[in-house]
Amino acid sequence: MLTTDRVAGGALVLLALVVFWESRRLPLGSLRNPGPAYMPVALAAVLLCFGALLVVLAGKAPALSTVSWTEWRHAVAIFGVCAFAALALERLGFRTTIALSLAFLLLGVERRGLVFSAVFAIAFAAVAFLLFDTFLRVPLPRGPFGI
Amino acid sequence: MRLSRVCARAVLATVAVASAQEPYPSRPITMVAPFPPGGIADLTARPVAAAMEKVLKNPVGVLNKTGAAGAVGMQFVATSKPDGYTLLLALSSISIIPEADKLFGRPPAFTVDQFAPIALISADPTILVVPADKPWKTAAEFVEDAKRRPGQISYSSSGVYGTLHMAMELLSHAAGIKLRHVPYAGGGPALTAVLGGHVDALASGPAVVLPHIKAGKLRALAGWGDKRVVALPEVPTFKELGFPDAEFYIWAGVFAPKGTPEPVLAKLRDTLRAAVNDPDFKGAMEKIETPIVFKQGAEFARFFEADAGRLAEGVRKVGRIETK
Amino acid sequence: MAETLQNLALGFSIALSPVILWYAFVGCVVGTLVGVLPGVGPLAGISLLLPATFGLDATRAIVMLAGIYYGAMYGGSTTSILMRIPGEAASVMTCIDGYAMARKGRAGAALAIAAVGSYVAGTASVVALMLLAPPLASFALRFGPPEYFALLLLGLFVLAYMSSGSMLKALAMAALGLLLGMIGIDQMTGYFRFAYGVVELGDGIGVVPVAVGLFGLAEILATAGLAVPPQVIKPALRELLPTRQEWRESAAPIGRGTVLGFLIGIVPGSAHIISSFVSYAVERKLAKRPQEFGQGAVAGVAGPESANNAATSGAFVPMLALGVPSGPIPAVMLAAMMVHGVSPGPLLIKQQPELFWGFIASMYVGNVVLLILNLPLVGVFVNLLRVPYAILYPSVLAFCILGVYAVNGSVVDVWIMLLMGGLGYLLRKLDFETAPIVLGVVLAPMLEMALRQSLAMSDGQYSIFVARPISATLLGVGLILITLGLQPLVTRGLDWRARLAVAEKGDEHP
Repeated sequence: MLTTDRVAGGALVLLALVVFWESRRLPLGSLRNPGPAYMPVALAAVLLCFGALLVVLAGKAPALSTVSWTEWRHAVAIFGVCAFAALALERLGFRTTIALSLAFLLLGVERRGLVFSAVFAIAFAAVAFLLFDTFLRVPLPRGPFGI
Repeated sequence: MRLSRVCARAVLATVAVASAQEPYPSRPITMVAPFPPGGIADLTARPVAAAMEKVLKNPVGVLNKTGAAGAVGMQFVATSKPDGYTLLLALSSISIIPEADKLFGRPPAFTVDQFAPIALISADPTILVVPADKPWKTAAEFVEDAKRRPGQISYSSSGVYGTLHMAMELLSHAAGIKLRHVPYAGGGPALTAVLGGHVDALASGPAVVLPHIKAGKLRALAGWGDKRVVALPEVPTFKELGFPDAEFYIWAGVFAPKGTPEPVLAKLRDTLRAAVNDPDFKGAMEKIETPIVFKQGAEFARFFEADAGRLAEGVRKVGRIETK
Repeated sequence: MAETLQNLALGFSIALSPVILWYAFVGCVVGTLVGVLPGVGPLAGISLLLPATFGLDATRAIVMLAGIYYGAMYGGSTTSILMRIPGEAASVMTCIDGYAMARKGRAGAALAIAAVGSYVAGTASVVALMLLAPPLASFALRFGPPEYFALLLLGLFVLAYMSSGSMLKALAMAALGLLLGMIGIDQMTGYFRFAYGVVELGDGIGVVPVAVGLFGLAEILATAGLAVPPQVIKPALRELLPTRQEWRESAAPIGRGTVLGFLIGIVPGSAHIISSFVSYAVERKLAKRPQEFGQGAVAGVAGPESANNAATSGAFVPMLALGVPSGPIPAVMLAAMMVHGVSPGPLLIKQQPELFWGFIASMYVGNVVLLILNLPLVGVFVNLLRVPYAILYPSVLAFCILGVYAVNGSVVDVWIMLLMGGLGYLLRKLDFETAPIVLGVVLAPMLEMALRQSLAMSDGQYSIFVARPISATLLGVGLILITLGLQPLVTRGLDWRARLAVAEKGDEHP
């Protein structure tokens, strides 16, 4: 039966194996003189044990099908907006990126009115920029045309 | 289709001509300091930027782009547009990082010839300090003891292949001794370690250890410079003691990306020459106890090449730390 | 003693002068603003604003920077309590019970307790700083790599007491966090580990993007799309301050947190986040009703917040008494002093009494100013909760991006936050705790470095850990803790934690 613990445990075991694989190029060293691979390998071994234990002892965990994913659409949208922001932040500048992200979330995802979303998004981006970049001198990226 | 392409070309040509005729500088200049605020590179960068601003009557701002012992900031400038609006204030580690990358067989974050050197601002020789309660009163005694007990005397550093590590390595090779290296995560922790007596020695820039020497907690044995440190006139140099290969400076210099047009470079050189003579700048450098050593043009290029060569050789000699 | 009081009088005469008061106030306000921003904590705040202080004279600059430091610590708890987003990495523990209290309508109480706890801790530790600085500093210097290793190992053991659910899951998350902390340049040999050519990962993935991602972004991802937005009971005005019962419950944790935080803070190189984790674990272990933790236990807010602030003052001990930078924040303050021509060192107290005592006095003043600033603002902040969630969460998201970006000016941090947010979301669904991951990310590089440094110092002999008195003591304490923790497991088969977990699961799935 696919329980939450089994899935998680399995993922951890997989991760541990990946770490083993990736560490093969680093020198292991010895117990007296541990190398760069020593601690990662040791930790991966520990993680492997824990993951395996989780898979084996997963009796009491709820089944995977009982986990509710009702909000997944929202989550995906927010995640997408964040990814957009990460990509655009240094290319389009802080104000443009944040304004676009907020507008998308307010208008597209939360279905607030067009005027409200646009005004809020632009105002927020402008005020945040003013407060932190201009006033507090925290350097924030500017886009083309210095926006 | 052809018409739009012709128009586009015309526009581009106009813009190019216009910007070429734009006097330099006409926009704020960014000086990248690849170290966190409060570090020596940062403390040097700010007065330089302020003095340049005065001379150029144009804003010069400092941007801290930190990470990977300076590699992040240096890579950033190496790959930015060579238009003179992005400059780098680099420490001597600029020559070490690409060598270390080569050593590990990984694509270098940047290479030294991606930069056009403009001028040297300061060059602090490192000095050897030991806790005051250790028995060695002179560098000769230290070297003697190291020869007698190879690998027993420990020293701290700001990180493997860092400036403080390389200085000690140069000494080890010049004097034929073997010391035990305990790397720390930066100059601050390295200093704390030697103050607490957890290691026996440290190669450090003079500014940070001066107060501790004056207070009697640390003792300076010798310096890696060509001349004696001004604030410590009784401390000999390794050159005087017969180890001419042990020469190391933690220097700070201004660089621009390679390909910056020559008139811009010339203007920057002139600006820096005027900047280091500015009384405010002199005062600021005095406050952080860093003597101004100004070299530019061919003189700087010679210094840089010699230093880079020395450091590259040092890194190769250290080789990969083999963990057997 | 008389001399100390005299010096203190000198200090106060400087600190209470209108100009200095003004700079302290400005520093506190700016610090609070910066601290409220998710992820931007005191270090980022001070580093960013250090250039702004260059034009001022030494005392004013230091006073303002100290104000920013404290303000950021105070401000960091605000976002943690109101929105479960850590204002800074060290506020992660406050997110857990603080937000739970806010959900129950006790947001005002939580904010007030955090403010008062921070004030008490700050003031008490400044007194300790003032009276005990030199001897404490000498003690702190004796902490070398073996002592660090023992201390950090102790911190890891503390994890065993932190988990509210299955210990196995918490330990698995800790292992995951430790592994994540392995990313970056190996300081001992220069190898790049798991960095895949991204230079920005050279220093590791950073605790700020991890904390903000795992707690902040994951929270938003999980709750934004819920059909019924999270019910936050909005308190009436008179319910804004803590009840007498709540004050009583917070008194002892504040005291314990202060002592614990101060002691951990004076050790050079320890991170503040450790003090709040340890305090949380201690409070949990000592609580009469440990099952409250995670559901809004007052001690879960009072303890960690006090520990945080006490660690802040503790970190100044080596800096002021010996001129030794005990961490990145004191290092920046030391640099600020150097820039203004004040040379820090063991003779600072003797040579520059106005600076030292003015600094101490301004710390008192700063704490008072912040208390006065924050208590009335509690009402204002709580009103933020009235904003419809649909508008609140995009704004908070924007602040998270801003905060995480601002720390290093690097987009890579935003990507890390993003990925950790996704991870945190999945882990919540699968019923795993995420706090141990944050602790692991912080501890891993320090633990590994301390181990290898110790071995380098001793040329490979493991005996160094027991040969030195401090580390031997710490290891001994750790051994006792582990045996105590495992003993019920052995003697009774099911210890109370597992029993509770089983009982809770029984409640959820009747």
